[in-house]
Amino acid sequence: MITGNFKTSYAADESLWNNWAKRYGFVLAVVFLLVLPLFADNYVLLLAGQIAIYVIAVTGVNVLVGYTGLMSLGHGAFFAVGAYTTVILHQYVEHLFPLITLLVSIVVAAGFGFLFGLPSLRVKGLYLAVATLSANFIILFFIRQDWAAPWTGGRQGIETPNAMFFGQEMLSNTQKYYFIIPICLAMVLFAQNLFRTRFGRALIGIRDNDHSAEILGISLYAYKLKSFAISAAYCGAAGSLWAYFFPAILPEDFSLNLSITLVVCLIAGGMGRTLGPVFGTLLILLIPEMLKIVSGWATGGDGRALIHFSSIRDIVFGLIIILFLIFEPMGLVSIWDRFWRVVARWPFSK
Amino acid sequence: MSMKRRTFIKAGAALTAASVAPAIVRAEEKVWRVGGSLPMTGPFATAGQLVAPALTDFTMMVNDAGGIGGKPMKIEVEDSGYIPKNALANFERALAGGPLHGYFGDSTGFMELVGPSLTGDKAVMMMSTSFASSLADPAKRPYQFMAGPSYQDQVEILLRDIADKGGETVALIYSDSEFGRDPIPHARKICEALGLRIVLEEVTKTAGADIESHVTKLAQANPEYAILQGYVTGVWPQLIGAARAFGLPTQFMGTFWGMEKVVADRVTDQAGPFLDGYQGVMPYRYFYDMEDAPYYQEVNAWKKNQNPDFPGYIVTWALEAYINLLIWKKSMEMTIEADKPITADNLMASMRAINDWDTRGFFGKPVSLAEHKIGQGRVYRYSAESKLFTPVSDWIET
Repeated sequence: MITGNFKTSYAADESLWNNWAKRYGFVLAVVFLLVLPLFADNYVLLLAGQIAIYVIAVTGVNVLVGYTGLMSLGHGAFFAVGAYTTVILHQYVEHLFPLITLLVSIVVAAGFGFLFGLPSLRVKGLYLAVATLSANFIILFFIRQDWAAPWTGGRQGIETPNAMFFGQEMLSNTQKYYFIIPICLAMVLFAQNLFRTRFGRALIGIRDNDHSAEILGISLYAYKLKSFAISAAYCGAAGSLWAYFFPAILPEDFSLNLSITLVVCLIAGGMGRTLGPVFGTLLILLIPEMLKIVSGWATGGDGRALIHFSSIRDIVFGLIIILFLIFEPMGLVSIWDRFWRVVARWPFSK
Repeated sequence: MSMKRRTFIKAGAALTAASVAPAIVRAEEKVWRVGGSLPMTGPFATAGQLVAPALTDFTMMVNDAGGIGGKPMKIEVEDSGYIPKNALANFERALAGGPLHGYFGDSTGFMELVGPSLTGDKAVMMMSTSFASSLADPAKRPYQFMAGPSYQDQVEILLRDIADKGGETVALIYSDSEFGRDPIPHARKICEALGLRIVLEEVTKTAGADIESHVTKLAQANPEYAILQGYVTGVWPQLIGAARAFGLPTQFMGTFWGMEKVVADRVTDQAGPFLDGYQGVMPYRYFYDMEDAPYYQEVNAWKKNQNPDFPGYIVTWALEAYINLLIWKKSMEMTIEADKPITADNLMASMRAINDWDTRGFFGKPVSLAEHKIGQGRVYRYSAESKLFTPVSDWIET
């Protein structure tokens, strides 16, 4: 009878997936992601690509909020930095290799994260959340300026380049999907591994008790700033992929609403867990779409009927989120944990 | 020899099948399908909820009259919340749902976002609520059009009217948005060409503007005319109210989204008659002015038949939906008459061929769509007493 995950070797302790169920679950997930475009239409691939990009950004927010315990409501701005960096780079080098653009976007976003993380040295909690809000306003202010319009498109937005691999332009949603998914998987795995390192454990130490962590020799300033930079780097990567995924970007895409959505995805999925961002993003992005499909069936696309259904849809979405937070305050990932516990110990558990 | 003959027969059969296949596919299309995204929730829900019934009414009217080319049309509207990427998802879902013959977009943002991807299988004839100047560009936006003058054209119509009336000084007041800023560079050029002097350019917030501060600047500049751009229901009435309270004699003028009678009536009912004399450009005849508008009369009769309590007024925002769909219908009919397959390219070619077309009421002069827009409009003045906008200029073309 299995009653827990007992480790009897260092190798077992270091393994990324500590039971067979998770291991095969991951393999199944990868296979599913690989074959999805074979039976999915453009709409499904649009959603899948969008979800994958959000997962990267929410994973970044998780590094800061979930693992380091620092609140931020400004990560939408770092997302914008990544997206606009990609567009601007392509203005100078038209067929720049996308992975180079991605790397540069990551570095630039990390730099901005470092800069806007400076207040974290003096304030935390809600005060830090308010301080990071400024990132949204300052960065979007510069993007919208007329003098910046030749590079950013100003208020009107700007058309984005298509990623090009060895002369092959990524035009269809399927091609873009296969470009984004491996990067998403790699970045999620990197985050999973990060918190098995000394550096990651130091961040967790800061989250759990920053005074104790400092007494243990962890430099709060250095680690908090690095956490901000890594977190912003993830959002920068997401922004870069966003620019490749959509045919145009607009300043409105990166408003405060985006920053809030990223945090909401994290809370709904579960903070401080690798799969939290995945589940949270699926929940927050898919429920409105599903409700829209249901209202489409119910109304048959009739404009008059839709007037009533649209407001009901918003109320239902709000209620789902409220009920979810009441009954699963630790996020969707706790349901996942319970499920796999049952599977791994079957038939001795219920 | 026999092998060659068989090969020939096989090839012939394959060619026949290939040539018949599109006809079979066409035959399977039971309806002409039009998708649409509207802001049924979010900041512009009022506009979306007023436009949505117009799309349904238009569909019912067309189908009651026998459809298009003998086939009924169907409109499937979805909520976008005025978020471009939501509208893009709606568009992709509509595309995935089968052949799509037209699409109604909800914003400049969506049209800009979807524009570059309208190629190949994704090419769809696309109309929208937007009058953004960048969308009337046949070379860059081959599948998008607008059923009226662009914001640049609208402001130009106002400036020409000002010049005709001997005006000399103008203030440009606009919201800090793409919508607000769209016609401003063009307005500067036209002012220079017409000899008008811009004495103030004032940027305001889209909502919750600091009205007193803006009116103080306006009082210092003291222009004869002030053009307001980039507002729908808010800011512009407060600005005019505060200016009147300040005793400013400036003549205020607006563009399409600031010219709705329902909004002006509500402001008059709640805050007094200060909008009296407010002017602006309207591309379409107001619905109550139906004497010379046979199409309006038909719609009115149909609506009365559906609902005897119909008050006899359709908002201008809904009229925009009607004329957009009429242009699409006209393009469909021209393509069918020419016996060409219904593709986005053929529909747009038909649309560009529309010349000297009598819209039966929407516009005062026959229209052409070669430029993917209709550069025509008229200046109207609001009367707080009659609660009507009445024309004060002839139809002006740009």
